[in-house]
Amino acid sequence: MASEVDKSLLIIILDVNLSQRIVRQETKVLTQCLDSTIVFANAHLMQKSNNQLAVMACHAHGSLFLYPDEKHSEVRQIDGQYERFTLVERSVRQRLQEAISEIRTDRPLNSESLIAGALSMALCYVSRLEREKVAGEKLNSRILVITASNDSASQYMNYMNVFFTAQKMGLILDVCSLDQELTLLQQGCDITGGNYLKVAQLSGLLQYLLWVFLPDPSIRSKLVLPPPVKVDYRAACFCHQELVDIGYVCSVCLSIFCKFSPICTTCHTVFKMPGPMPLKMKKKKKNIDAVH
Amino acid sequence: MAEEEDEKEYRWETGYEKTWEAIKEDDHGMLEASVADIIHKAKRKRQSERKGGARLGMMRHLFIILDCSASMMNQDLKPTRLLCSIKLLEDFVDEFFYQNPISQMGIIVTRNKRAEKISDLTGNPKKHIKELQNLQHTALTGEPSLQNSLELALKSLRLLPSHASREILILIGSLTTCDPGDINPLIKTMKVEGVRCSVIGLAAELCVCKRIASATGGEHSVVLDDKHYKEQLNAHIDPPPATTRLDAALVKMGFPHHALHNSTTDAAMTVCMCHAESTDESSRLMSTGYLCPQCLSKHCELPVECRACGLTLVSAPHLARSYHYLFPVKPFREIAYESNTPSSCFGCQKSFSNTEKKVYICDKCMNVFCVDCEIFIHESLHTCPGCANNPDTFLKNADSLPAT
Repeated sequence: MASEVDKSLLIIILDVNLSQRIVRQETKVLTQCLDSTIVFANAHLMQKSNNQLAVMACHAHGSLFLYPDEKHSEVRQIDGQYERFTLVERSVRQRLQEAISEIRTDRPLNSESLIAGALSMALCYVSRLEREKVAGEKLNSRILVITASNDSASQYMNYMNVFFTAQKMGLILDVCSLDQELTLLQQGCDITGGNYLKVAQLSGLLQYLLWVFLPDPSIRSKLVLPPPVKVDYRAACFCHQELVDIGYVCSVCLSIFCKFSPICTTCHTVFKMPGPMPLKMKKKKKNIDAVH
Repeated sequence: MAEEEDEKEYRWETGYEKTWEAIKEDDHGMLEASVADIIHKAKRKRQSERKGGARLGMMRHLFIILDCSASMMNQDLKPTRLLCSIKLLEDFVDEFFYQNPISQMGIIVTRNKRAEKISDLTGNPKKHIKELQNLQHTALTGEPSLQNSLELALKSLRLLPSHASREILILIGSLTTCDPGDINPLIKTMKVEGVRCSVIGLAAELCVCKRIASATGGEHSVVLDDKHYKEQLNAHIDPPPATTRLDAALVKMGFPHHALHNSTTDAAMTVCMCHAESTDESSRLMSTGYLCPQCLSKHCELPVECRACGLTLVSAPHLARSYHYLFPVKPFREIAYESNTPSSCFGCQKSFSNTEKKVYICDKCMNVFCVDCEIFIHESLHTCPGCANNPDTFLKNADSLPAT
C-alpha cells in the first residue's frame, strides 16, 4: 500500500465588521477575538506538521486573505518561537491593519458583513489546492466562521450556493456565533455536517474554540460536544417574508407563496386553478355533454 | 424525410477535418497544454449554450427504460454493456436527484419481449440504486420490446398532473425490437400527452428510435465509448426547456420541522412512516425525523411524499438548490493577460504568471479570475465571488430575486 498523506486545511473567516453590536459597545472585543483566533490558528498548526492554514477577514465592503500572504513569506526567528507561528501572527495583524484602514468611510458602515462572499472565495481557494495537490495526498478541508453579525436574508442565494458546493466538495463548515442565533448559517452547518455554537460568554472564546472546533471531524464523534441545534428548515414565503409550514410552490421557478395567487410574482406565469377545481370542471363538462 | 433534414450532408461528404492540426507542441515538445486547451474550449462552449431564465420543466418525472436483452451481454463496453450501464446509471441517479431535488424517477427493464417496472416513480435515489445493483446478476434473455415498455411508462406518466414534465429515457443495446402491434399510434399518443422521449443507443442508430425522439422533442444519440456514454447520460441531468403546453401550477407543499429530542418532551422512540411497513433490519426506532405539518406523521428523510396524507414534503434548501438554473452567473469575458491586470486571481489567490495566456473578467464586478476558477464558478459554485464581495453588485443581484 502506498502511504497516503493526510493533510488538513483549516480556513478561518473572521468577521471584522466594525458595526457589529458587541464591537460598538466595547472596541476592545475585536482585539480580544483576534488574539484568540491567532492562538487557535497556531494550535491547529501545532497539531501536525503538515496541517495547513488560511485566515480571511470579511467586513461590510468585501473580504480578503490575511494568511497566507505571498508578499511577506520570510520571517526570522524571534524569542525562540517557531517561525511559522510568528509568520501567522505577523501577517494576520499586519494585513488586518491595512484592511481596516482601507475601509472606505464614505459608505454607510452599518451594512451587513459579506460572509457569503468570503465563503465563496474560500471555496475557490480550496478547489485550487485540490487541483494542485500531488497524487496520494488527501486534503481534509474545513471552514470556521467567527462572527457577531446578524443573519442577512439578502445573501440567501449566495449562501445556499456556497453550502451546496461545500457539501459536494466534502467540506465542513463550522460556525461560531458571538452574538445572535444565526439561522442561515445553522442550515449551512447542518447541510455540511459541521458544528454550530453560540458562545455564551465572550471572555471564554479561546476555550470554546479549542474544545469544539480544534478537533478533526473524524475525532469529533468520540467527543461529547454541545448537542446539535434544532435547525429551522421552514421556508420564508416570497410574498410576505413569513415562515410557513405549508406553502404553495410555483412549478416553473419554485418560488414559495403562503397563499394561492393566480400569477407568480417572480416569473409572471399564470397558474391554473388549484387542486379540487379541475374535478368540478370535469363534472360540469359531463353535465353539459349529457344535456346535448 | 423530415427528421433527416437537420443534417445537411453526410460526414463522408464534408470536407477534410484536420484534427491533428489543432494539436501543437509546446517548447518542450509536450502536447499536454494543447490538449488542456481543447478541453477548456469544449467546456466553455457547453457553458455558452446554457442559457438561463428560460422556462424549465423543474418538476420532472422521468422513466428510464433499460434494455436487458441478450444483446446487453456484448462486451464492446467494458466489462459488458449491462454492467457499464448500471455503473453509469448509479452516478446518474445520484446526480439527477442532486440537481433536480423535487423530481421523480422510475426504472423499467425490458427483456424477453416483456417490460417490467422494477421501481416506481419516487423521489428517493437510494431505492433506485438498490434496484439497479440487484440487476447485476439478472439473466439477459431474448429481445427487448419498445412498445410494451413505452406503454408501461405511459400508463404511469399519464396520471400525473399537467404541470409535471414527463420524460422517458431509453437505453437500448439491441438492434431489434419485438412489438405486439404498430408502434406509430403510440408515438402519436406520446406526442399528444407531451411525453419527451430520448434515446441513447449502445449499438447503432435505429430508424424507429430516431423517429420516437424527433417526434416527441427528445434527443437521440449513439454512444462511441464509455466516456461518451457518460456524457450523453449527463446531458439529461439539466432540466429541459418546458414544453409550451406544460401548465404552470402552484403546488401545495409542506416544510416539515426537524423533530430532534427537545429537553421539554422526553423524546419517545418512534418508527418513521417510510420504514413502518418493511420488516427488514432498516426499520429502526429513532428519535429524530421530520414531522409532516399536516398530519404529524414522521418521516426519516426528505424530500418525500407523506405516506399518510400525500402532501409533498421538502425542505427549503432543497428548493434553493435548483435556483441556480433560474439565476445563473453570466459568462465572464475572456481578456488577454497584460501587465495592467491584477497580479492574482480574485478567487483562489493564485498569482498570474506569464504562462497565463487568458484571464477572465466578470463584467459586473470587474474582478479578474483564472481559467480554473472560471470553470469552478460556472459549473459548481454558481456565485461570482467578486459580486458576492461587493455590496453594490450583490444588492443589485438580489433585486432580481425576492429574498427569502
